[in-house]
Amino acid sequence: MNHLLEVQSIHTFIGQYHILQGVDVRVPKGSITALLGRNGAGKTTTLKTILGLTPPRQGKVVFEGREINGMRSFDIAALGIGFVPEHRAIFRDLSVEENLKIAERRKGDYTRKQDFLFSLFPDLKRLINLPGTHLSGGQQQMLAIARALVADNRLLLIDEPSEGLAPVLIEQLMQAIRQLSAETTVVLVEQNFLVASQLAEYYVIIEEGRSVKQGKMKDLVNDKATIHRYLGAA
Amino acid sequence: MNLSIFFRKNLMLLAILAVLAGLFAAAANGMESSDFVITLLRGLSVGSLTFLVASGFSLIFGLLDVLNLAHGTLFMIGAYIGWTVYVRPDTFVDLLTPLALVFSGFMLGDVWTILSTRSLFAGGTKRVLPWAGILVSALILVGVLRSYPVSIWNPEDYAQSPVSISYLAGQGQNILPPPAAFGSISPLLALAGLLLGGLLLAFSLSLFNAGKQAVSKRLGWRSFAGFGAFLLAGIVFFVFNDALTAFLAALNTNWLFLTAVTVAVGAGIGLGALMETTLIRPLYIRPIYQLMLTIGLSAIGIEMVRAVWGRPEFTMPRPELFAGTGEACPATSLSDWWQYHCSTMILLDGRIRVYNEIFVPIVGLVVLAGVWMLLQRTRLGMVIRAGVQDREMVEALGINVRRVFTLVFALGVGLAALGGVLAAPSIGLSNMMGESFLLNALIALAIGGLTSYPGAALGSLLVGLLQQFIIKYGQIGIPIPFTDIIFKPTPPIVPASTILLMVVVLLILPNGLLGKKE
Repeated sequence: MNHLLEVQSIHTFIGQYHILQGVDVRVPKGSITALLGRNGAGKTTTLKTILGLTPPRQGKVVFEGREINGMRSFDIAALGIGFVPEHRAIFRDLSVEENLKIAERRKGDYTRKQDFLFSLFPDLKRLINLPGTHLSGGQQQMLAIARALVADNRLLLIDEPSEGLAPVLIEQLMQAIRQLSAETTVVLVEQNFLVASQLAEYYVIIEEGRSVKQGKMKDLVNDKATIHRYLGAA
Repeated sequence: MNLSIFFRKNLMLLAILAVLAGLFAAAANGMESSDFVITLLRGLSVGSLTFLVASGFSLIFGLLDVLNLAHGTLFMIGAYIGWTVYVRPDTFVDLLTPLALVFSGFMLGDVWTILSTRSLFAGGTKRVLPWAGILVSALILVGVLRSYPVSIWNPEDYAQSPVSISYLAGQGQNILPPPAAFGSISPLLALAGLLLGGLLLAFSLSLFNAGKQAVSKRLGWRSFAGFGAFLLAGIVFFVFNDALTAFLAALNTNWLFLTAVTVAVGAGIGLGALMETTLIRPLYIRPIYQLMLTIGLSAIGIEMVRAVWGRPEFTMPRPELFAGTGEACPATSLSDWWQYHCSTMILLDGRIRVYNEIFVPIVGLVVLAGVWMLLQRTRLGMVIRAGVQDREMVEALGINVRRVFTLVFALGVGLAALGGVLAAPSIGLSNMMGESFLLNALIALAIGGLTSYPGAALGSLLVGLLQQFIIKYGQIGIPIPFTDIIFKPTPPIVPASTILLMVVVLLILPNGLLGKKE
């Protein structure tokens, strides 16, 4: 299978804490892959390790056949990896438009992508001049995803997109993620198993800093024992 | 935003500003209109100089979380560099070649990163090597520079000290001494020594960061362009030393002053970039060490200035545009001033100094607007504003935040240096001028809001005005209502008043007038 991203046995420390103790993730090109696991299992750290924000001490991260561990995070991002962090990290003093423009890697990226972004998230067009601090949680999440789409990213790392959102907004976001996955490969960290199972084609379960199981989501949905054991879902 | 919501949200801020406006109006009532205008303009002048220090300090702290306590010293160094270019262009030109050759080594950052990452040394050798390199390079540079001919003053000999030179220059009698010549060292050996010393020093400093910076690009012509440019500049300055000195010495003082300002700001920017990349960067995760480092650098800077320029205070002569005297002066209108370049001008029956009370505030306003435009209207400004809020996210967007850090640090120090060189003809040069302006700037930032750019402007304005009005009332006295007592504030009340204002503001608004909750 053609993998866009391969994470091979990574070990990551934060300070003196050994957070990731051997995580393997394989992300097929053009897919949505969900990283699943309980709170504190190491899912967010895995995303940050891929992006070089918490560099691994051991193991390899290979993106499009190129080893990227050891590179600086802005160089990794510039290869075509977009990041939507857990708490959205909207720049609150920048307007919605500035939040999008800052993500340009080449001049004109934002202008070129405007129609696509506003078709995905029509609300943003109305809010374009408002500062980030005036947006609701759902609007911030949309802006965070739109921001990651301004540059021509081939991989999107999305952390907990449904966290703290109303069901109507979650449904809207899921549609948007499905739509954008036609062009971009997505790695998704999601606590809400229902959301993850409806979106993702592949999954990786991370338990106490180790990847313990991975495969196709449709197989996991029918494997109640695994779901119960690692995710605590019924 | 709805007006009532705005009022509710900013009630305390508006109340404080209303009280301050009331006090200001009371101050206006208590003195002659000419005194009031002069005091107001003096306040604006001090406020502008304070703002140039405070704004740079605030930008650096906001983005980099670095409390640069050497900022005042850099303000002072800007003043002394400006004075040197303006009064002793021969010294300045003599120093260009050594500076260009030594700094050329620092332009090979990519080469040093690759070399230091690939160096095979380990353990103790790896720890000792950078220090050994610094020691050897220092020996080479000191050895060469001791014999390198630089035409310079002598602070120990009054006749040749900056005080005398400055006085004579102010009288239009500045005669440059004959150029210094090579003696015990051959020119070729000196140039080679400077180049070698610079290369070794830059490489040794890069060894401290070995392995901390991942290497992600190959060497290209860009990696050598800066080095080539500095090397070429060093040689050109060497060959055309006398011609360049003669050119600067023959310049009209207005142009020479502009050159001095440009060089001081450029030196500030260069010094800031060098300081951030070599000294501050390795200490980003150790804020206490960073604080100690900047305090240490400040002390070193002051001692270096004392060693080179001496301890006594002196004033930099004003350029011709602001130095006119004679029967036509003081000027009574702007056109008069433009015609006779009077140093003073009559405004509302009061006599003001054009450079101090008109020119300096105008430059302050221009810088305020310029940096505001940079922050609000350019991509760099957008990145700086975003970086102040969330550095990690900016980096995750593919932006090299480290480079922005260096730029902001350099810009901040450049602003301080601009403040210094502007202050030199108005308040004069002294070893402690930086410390007093740093204190003013810190108080202004606490009042306005530590990381707020408009807050830096508002705080500086309030500090400048308050100080000048207290000084004025020290002369004319404040009648205490319902009594015959006239209260005259003594000089120590001047700094105490700004601290009192700071305490009151912080008690009511802990983040300052325009600061945001951290």
